[in-house]
Amino acid sequence: MNTNPDSDAGRRVRVVIVDDHTIFRSGLKADLDERMDVVGEAGTVEQAIAVIAEKRPEVVLLDVHLPGGLGGGGREVIAGSNALLGTTSFLALSVSDAAEDVVSVIRAGARGYVTKTISGKEISDAVIRVADGDAVFSPRLAGFVLDAFGTAPADIADDELDKLSARELEVMRLIARGYSYKEVAKELFISIKTVETHVSAVLRKLQLSSRHELTKWAAERRLL
Amino acid sequence: MIAGVCSGLADHLGWPVKYVRLGMILACFAGGAGVAFYAWLWTMVPTADENAKRNARRPASSIAPAVSLPPVPVPGVGPATAAYDAGGSATVPGDRSAGGTAAAGPTAGPGDGGTASPAGAPYGFGAASAEDRWGGTALASWFSFRRIQYGKEILLGAALLLVAAILIARQFGVDVPLGTLIPAAAILGGAAIAWMQLDETRRAGLVDKTKADQAGGWVRLAAGLALVVAGVLVMVSGSGSWEQTWLALLASVAVLGGVALVLLPWGLKFWKDLETERAGRVRETERAEIAAHLHDSVLQTLALIQRRAGSEQDVVRLARAQERELRAWLFSDAAKESGLLADRIKSVAAEVEDSHGQAVEVVTVGDTAMTDRHEALVQAAREAMLNAARHGGGTVSVYMESTAGSTEIFIKDRGPGFDPDAVPEDRLGVKESIIGRMKRHGGSAVITSSSAGTEVRLALPSATVEAGEQRTSDVRNGESKQ
Repeated sequence: MNTNPDSDAGRRVRVVIVDDHTIFRSGLKADLDERMDVVGEAGTVEQAIAVIAEKRPEVVLLDVHLPGGLGGGGREVIAGSNALLGTTSFLALSVSDAAEDVVSVIRAGARGYVTKTISGKEISDAVIRVADGDAVFSPRLAGFVLDAFGTAPADIADDELDKLSARELEVMRLIARGYSYKEVAKELFISIKTVETHVSAVLRKLQLSSRHELTKWAAERRLL
Repeated sequence: MIAGVCSGLADHLGWPVKYVRLGMILACFAGGAGVAFYAWLWTMVPTADENAKRNARRPASSIAPAVSLPPVPVPGVGPATAAYDAGGSATVPGDRSAGGTAAAGPTAGPGDGGTASPAGAPYGFGAASAEDRWGGTALASWFSFRRIQYGKEILLGAALLLVAAILIARQFGVDVPLGTLIPAAAILGGAAIAWMQLDETRRAGLVDKTKADQAGGWVRLAAGLALVVAGVLVMVSGSGSWEQTWLALLASVAVLGGVALVLLPWGLKFWKDLETERAGRVRETERAEIAAHLHDSVLQTLALIQRRAGSEQDVVRLARAQERELRAWLFSDAAKESGLLADRIKSVAAEVEDSHGQAVEVVTVGDTAMTDRHEALVQAAREAMLNAARHGGGTVSVYMESTAGSTEIFIKDRGPGFDPDAVPEDRLGVKESIIGRMKRHGGSAVITSSSAGTEVRLALPSATVEAGEQRTSDVRNGESKQ
């Protein structure tokens, strides 16, 4: 994830950071590079919804676990900001690797998921990527996707939401193996833009699919 | 032969099965007494399985270790117990059950008073109280009887003997006032059944609440109640006249309903208090456990980090190891501690992480049971991880994918890379531990390295599809390498 897709140098991304730990918020703020403006911060679900509605940022860095609201955490913030989903993108941040946390925020509408141990450079790149409308997949999220959708490619006859295409599977596998988008592109002889398209398609499937196996997978992990 | 009662009885008494069966059959001719006895044993005595389960389910109690021990069967404890013990025959002598409670009911010591009376405090009185939480109520109270007196057994034996004597006396033409005896017996029996049921639900509530148990319990309560009421009525009215009996029945049902109505709120409140107390206790235990765990792990690590604040690598390593430990504790089932491949890979990665202070990120898809061949795969992966942590620098990515056909593991680092062909012959790490080991177990290992990092790809086809799959997997690796 150390690639920076053609962002013009003068561009500034307006960011809101939502996390209940003040120390983490200030650390994250310091980590984000000069391409980002932190225009607001929030520590609870209610604050987050209010701040996002007021500031209308391009990207919200959203902790999965948040106090307040009905206990839904990050998921609830996304649901509460539903009206802005067209203009505001959410990037989920968590210390948790648990599938239920990751997949529930993604299905709520987040454009990506990264763990909090991510480096400053990586998080900045991820923010830019999300601001550009692309999806950000960590290796672990790719692993969950492969686990949920299975590793067999779709037949052409299948409903398009139900399975990953052979190419999407390849991309997911490489990301799970720790490849950056650039490395994936190089490995598969395709452009970074194409990789991003595939990843976005996978994200869409993950968000929309009601496939039987996915439901079962989610039920096994108490996601539904 | 029907329900294994005879063999259980024989086993318990130490007599040959033959005699027991013979005796049972003879008893059948004696006015059907054998049939009744058989049925009684069948329903009342726990089977060996049930008994074993009950004993296994009860955790060892530090509070009352002696009481928690399963009772040792002692054949021929004494003539008095033998009569009752016949009831416990199929399994362990006198493991509560049986009508023993019944006969003992009225004269029971304080322990039984707690279980039988609805007014009893939730955790009983006397000796039985401490063990209640461990689901050992029954056994414990039984033990307390053993200690205090054999009242239960003696009473039951006496009652049985009495019945036998009456039956024999009738056979010889002696006039026995059956008119009073039968209602009296009905009352006793009904009360016994009802009390037994109270004991049963209490235990069920403490050990595990299942619907079936409760349904059975209610049926038993109803049966006991009906018997008692009928018995009392017949005794009081003194006549067999149906009209009178029906009228009395109606009246008594009305009275019972009234009493139930009065007692209901009180009973509900009592039950709620009990539930609250139980929930509180569970919460308390959980809190204590969490506090203990945090103290042993996180606080210790924080102390260590403060002392080693100078060395960045130590701090990172400690923090990382602690993070992993906490994560495992929070998110994974203790019961899932299995012999599966994904868990093995994760533990090996953790070990590498600890020894080299490099983060190793493991992503797994699918899982499979460990075999010797998979152990070889794990060892090869471990070697690759060690190399990556030693020479790579930065995070090591490990990806394991297991499907029906094969298992693949990818280990990637972002180090300066090396030329696999230029590795000297005497360096055994790559050649023997990775490539050679995989080949010997029917798998393959491909190493690609460039200035952007090194990736080791290990593939192990399943044993069943080994022959056919081998070639295709090699081809695929070859393709994607270019």
